[in-house]
Amino acid sequence: MKNKNFYVIENALLNLGKNKGRNFLQGVMIFAVITTTVIALSIHNTSVAIIGEYKTRFGSEVNIVPETLADNLPDITAEQALLYSQSEYLRDAQVDEVKIGSGAIKLVYYLKSPESLDAFRTEVQDKGLPAGYIVDIDKAGYDRMVMPMEGLKDISLTFLLIVLALGCAIMILLSIISVRERKYEIGVLRAMGMKKQKLAMGLWVEILIITSVCFILSLIAGGLLSQSISDALLAGLMNTATEPVDISVSPQTVLQIFGVAMLFASVAGIISVSKITKYEPIKILMERN
Amino acid sequence: MSTLALQNVSYQYEGSNKIIFKDISMSFEAGKVYTIVGRSGAGKTTLLNLLAGLDVATAGRIVYDGVSLAETNRNHYRARKAGIVFQGFNLLTNATALDNILLSMHISGIKGVNKKARALDLLKKVGISPEKANRKILKLSGGEQQRIGIARALAHNPELIIADEPTGSLDENTANTILEILASLAHDEGKCVIVVTHSKEVTPIADEIWSIDDGVFTEVSQ
Repeated sequence: MKNKNFYVIENALLNLGKNKGRNFLQGVMIFAVITTTVIALSIHNTSVAIIGEYKTRFGSEVNIVPETLADNLPDITAEQALLYSQSEYLRDAQVDEVKIGSGAIKLVYYLKSPESLDAFRTEVQDKGLPAGYIVDIDKAGYDRMVMPMEGLKDISLTFLLIVLALGCAIMILLSIISVRERKYEIGVLRAMGMKKQKLAMGLWVEILIITSVCFILSLIAGGLLSQSISDALLAGLMNTATEPVDISVSPQTVLQIFGVAMLFASVAGIISVSKITKYEPIKILMERN
Repeated sequence: MSTLALQNVSYQYEGSNKIIFKDISMSFEAGKVYTIVGRSGAGKTTLLNLLAGLDVATAGRIVYDGVSLAETNRNHYRARKAGIVFQGFNLLTNATALDNILLSMHISGIKGVNKKARALDLLKKVGISPEKANRKILKLSGGEQQRIGIARALAHNPELIIADEPTGSLDENTANTILEILASLAHDEGKCVIVVTHSKEVTPIADEIWSIDDGVFTEVSQ
């Protein structure tokens, strides 16, 4: 047996077919908003993920280097280097020696977590690290890799916020125009005894269907566009060559976009409800007739 | 016992000093056709809007089955109890004739009938063929739209039928058919039919004729 409210959904589906022009225009606007959201979110999420990875990678790479390239600095022996590598804070006992000029070397260790830097530093100093050596991460390398990504993340976040604000504004405007255009229809349905809630539900179902279709199309279009836009942005941000960043629409991004799409549909729904609540059928019909 | 009654009803438009009705009382019974006649602008449509529960009286009560319309769910009243034929038809223009009727049935929550068959039957009764039933309202003539408006008002089998100029856009033959249907609804099916009109052609089917002039109702002897 059909639910007594099923006709509202049936009618909403019929209306989608009846008002093709208006729905197409509305769909195009929603598609544009969601696609730009997909792009912004994909770039943002990928930037965040890459920054996290870089932070872990470069923040974990800890160097023991001479503070200055002074000749009178005591050498770190191979035994000492090995001793320092035997730490619970390190991923493994690996130590790399890198020549940094004037016969000096840099010892490179790999922390389990960047947060252990201070603890490792204290441990190494307690194990007899000669004065004149510093224990720190490779800040220059870190900055070289992470700063452009931070820039990309900031741009994508700003872009995302603008898209969300504009998207909401567009959806509100579209809803107002749509409800105003359909004022007569609303008046007739109310005069026939249709409840405001059911009318609002019908309009909401319509916008929900349009948004869902746009959501799927936007995922495809956004997924295709994100990579090239990201490449263009990175090319502008990075002076030094770096490895390419793979921008992808992750399941988490899909969920976030779905949330945004539903937010847009809800905004449209709320606007419709608030508009409908103000309309009295007699006033609409008298205006028309 | 009256189906619908006006009890000391007064009405004036918001922000206007002009009083449309003042302190009027009258009652409508089941099984009868009432015709309310009057010149244009006399307040006939305003009265219809009040009876249809589309508007609320400034003072007094409109009572249906012992309950004031102002205190009841007027959506429910319009959806289930009253069938309204509007002078301006008020149909959903981008929908088909059939969809208009079906939607009215859905809104009223009518159960236990084959809705499509009933809708087509009602359309046939008012002279709309099944082929035209599937045409969009805008592709139908004014007379056809009026007949669809009548069929829609009857779709949910209401106890009360309120019609504003129901034969205004119809040729003589179709008008007579519609009047026969309205008369039969009252006399054979026990409905209360109230017709608001400026035309005298409706009066032959009326059991009571009322005239409205300057906000005063007077029963006209036949």
